[in-house]
Parts: sequence; structure tokens; C-alpha cells
Amino acid sequence: MKFATILLAIAIAFSATAASATSLSVDLRPAAENPTAPQMGDHLSFHSVIGNEGDTPINALVAWISLVQIDKGKEQPVDLEDWSAHKAVTTTSVPPHGTIQSDWPMRLIQAGHYRVVVSAVSRDGTRLVASPFVDFTVRQKPVVESQRVLPVALGIPMLIGVGMLWRRRRH
Amino acid sequence: MTATSLIARKESGELLLSLRGLAWLMAVAVSLSLFGLLLVSNTELSLLDNAQVVYDMVGIVTALGGLLSLVVGIDAVAGERERGSLVPLLLTPVSRDAILAGKLGGVAIAWAVMYVLALPYLWAVGSTGQNLIQGMLVLAVVGSPVVLGFGFFGMILGSRLTSARAGLFTGLITLIASASPLLLGPSLRQSAIGRAFDAVNPFSAAVNAYDAVIIDSQTIASQWPHIAVAAVWIGLLLWLARSAFRRIAR
Repeated sequence: MKFATILLAIAIAFSATAASATSLSVDLRPAAENPTAPQMGDHLSFHSVIGNEGDTPINALVAWISLVQIDKGKEQPVDLEDWSAHKAVTTTSVPPHGTIQSDWPMRLIQAGHYRVVVSAVSRDGTRLVASPFVDFTVRQKPVVESQRVLPVALGIPMLIGVGMLWRRRRH
Repeated sequence: MTATSLIARKESGELLLSLRGLAWLMAVAVSLSLFGLLLVSNTELSLLDNAQVVYDMVGIVTALGGLLSLVVGIDAVAGERERGSLVPLLLTPVSRDAILAGKLGGVAIAWAVMYVLALPYLWAVGSTGQNLIQGMLVLAVVGSPVVLGFGFFGMILGSRLTSARAGLFTGLITLIASASPLLLGPSLRQSAIGRAFDAVNPFSAAVNAYDAVIIDSQTIASQWPHIAVAAVWIGLLLWLARSAFRRIAR
């Protein structure tokens, strides 16, 4: 009898954990107002919907955004420090069949091909739940242009040089 | 025209119209040009790097401005003494405060010219990045008191030391020590000594304000602690310069 009780308790615990893990869903889509061909300096936004499809609340939920560069030879995770000030959301509880909606704005700092994903875990969950990937490409924008720098860098010393010659001739 | 404005005009005229002064401006322009040209070939700069470039250039302008002000300040007293024109100036029926104000005006005009000279360079390297206007403003608000303070410091050295060379040597060592935050990042200044040095060093106040405004996009108003340090620095140096200039005997 005692053994059967223990087995029952383990089965209940296992089923509750499994239910908690599978009842969490994360969806991610780019915002409709995002530019179609973004370049460095533009702002993008992504919209996530985290849902609890189960019949029990999901407690202590943490969701965060991740960015990965996928250019050939430059594959690497990107530190979002400079890209976004909004990197995670937390909530104490998601009610049964409830949703948490979040916007994830970011400023495009560097050119390249990127993949963004939102991941979520809860206190009772046993595995990570991730959204589908959203890919985007950031076009290069010249930040230090030679056609601006050269006239200034060469022109100002030349102007001062002309001034010096003029002063020398006057003396 | 008052005696003060006459002296300020003469001091600034030496900078703007004399060959020696134009050579100074040429040296400053060539330094900024070299920095700008080094960046042209770099096509991998990100937007953040662009802000870093503006931050670096603002720091360089502050250091060059401090150097220029220091030399102009020393030359305004010790240089006059060595050229034999200080005593005749002091014997004119003009108060010491009026002469000092004129000399300080010369330092201020020298810095104003250099600031204006730096603006096209800042625009050239930073107009497609972030916080360019804020960078120019924070240079004016926080950088100007720091730079002018070094000019006043130069006048103190010129008044106290009999040799312009000794004054220049002392001033350069002080300027290099003060400007060390340009080379040492914040992580290298986290020791107790580093934090204490940062708290009282006007150059650290300027560099930290540049970092916060240009790179971290904070407002200039939020930098009031750094502005306060710069204001105390220039106020203290002005008081000391006045005291030193009044005690000049010859």
C-alpha cells in the first residue's frame, strides 16, 4: 500500500511537471511598422506572445530575447548591451489559458544577418521553451565617410597654411 | 574700449594673426586631421564605434585645448617677463585685476577659436552617428571650464616661477597626469586611489561626462556632479590666479 502511494505521488509530480513544460508557448513576430530593408541606426521591434495553454497557473516566468549573428564566418551570439535596454520580462504568474504580450525594441548597431529568438522558463518547468526564429538583415551604413572627412581634414590645414603664407608676405 | 578688452584683444590677436599663433592652430588642425584620416579607411565601424570616435575626438580636443591654454597662460605672464614687457605693463595706470581679466580673456578667446576649429572635424566623423550635437554641447559645458582652468593654472605658474621653461615643464607634467583618464579606461580606475583621483580630477569629470552623454545617451543636465567638479576647478584656479598675479613684484 505504501509503495503504491509513493508511485502515485511520483506519477502525479511527473505529470504536473510535464504539463507545466508543455503548456507554455512562445510566439514571436516582427512588428508591422518595421522598415522592410533596415540599415544601421534604424529601430526594429518584435512582438512576443507567451501563453499558458494548460489548466494550472505557470509561476515565476522569465522570458528573454537573444540575438545571434549568422553571417558566414562571423557566427556568434551578440551582446545586446548596446542594442536594447529591454532584454527580459518577468511575471509572478500566468493564469490558465492566459497570455503575456511583450514588445522588444532594438536599435540596429552593426550590419549583418541576424536571428532573434525569445526564450522562456518558469519555476516549475523542466525545459526551455523558445519562440520560432525571426531573421532580419541590417544594411551597412557608412559611418565615417571619406567624402566628408577628406575635405575637412585636408582643407582646414590648407586654409591655415594660406593664412600663414599671407602673414609671412605681409611681414 | 577698456584696458581689459584691449589686453584681451592683443593677446588673442597674437594667437590669430601672428605666425607663431597660426603655427599653433596648424599643429592642432594637423592632429585632428590625422585622427580623422585614420578613420576613413575603416569600413567595419559600427554605429557604437562611431559614437566612440566622437568621444575620442572630444577627448583629444579637450587635451589639446588644455595644452594650448596652459601655454598661452604661461606665456601671458612668464613670456612677457622674459620679453621684458611685463614690468611696463604692470606700471601702466591699470589695476592688476583689469590686466588679469584681459589676460584671462586672451586664454578664453584662444579656447573659443580652437573649439570652433574642432566643430567641422566632429561633424565630419560623427554626423551619421549618435549624439553629435550633444557631444558638441557637453564639450562646451564641461570641457570649457576644464580647459580654461589649465589656462589659469598656466598664469599661476607664470606668476610664481621666474622661468617660463620651468613653468611649462611643471604645467605639462600636471596636464599629462590629469589627462591620464583618456588613456586609462574606467576599469583601470576602480581602485581606491583611482576612484579618489577621479573624484577630484577635473579631466576625469569631463571624460566621464563625455562617456555618459555621447556613448550612453544620457542628458547633459544629468551630469551635474561632473559639471560641479569642473565649476569648482575653474573657480579655485581663478581665485589662485588672481592671488598669484597680485603678488608679482617684477
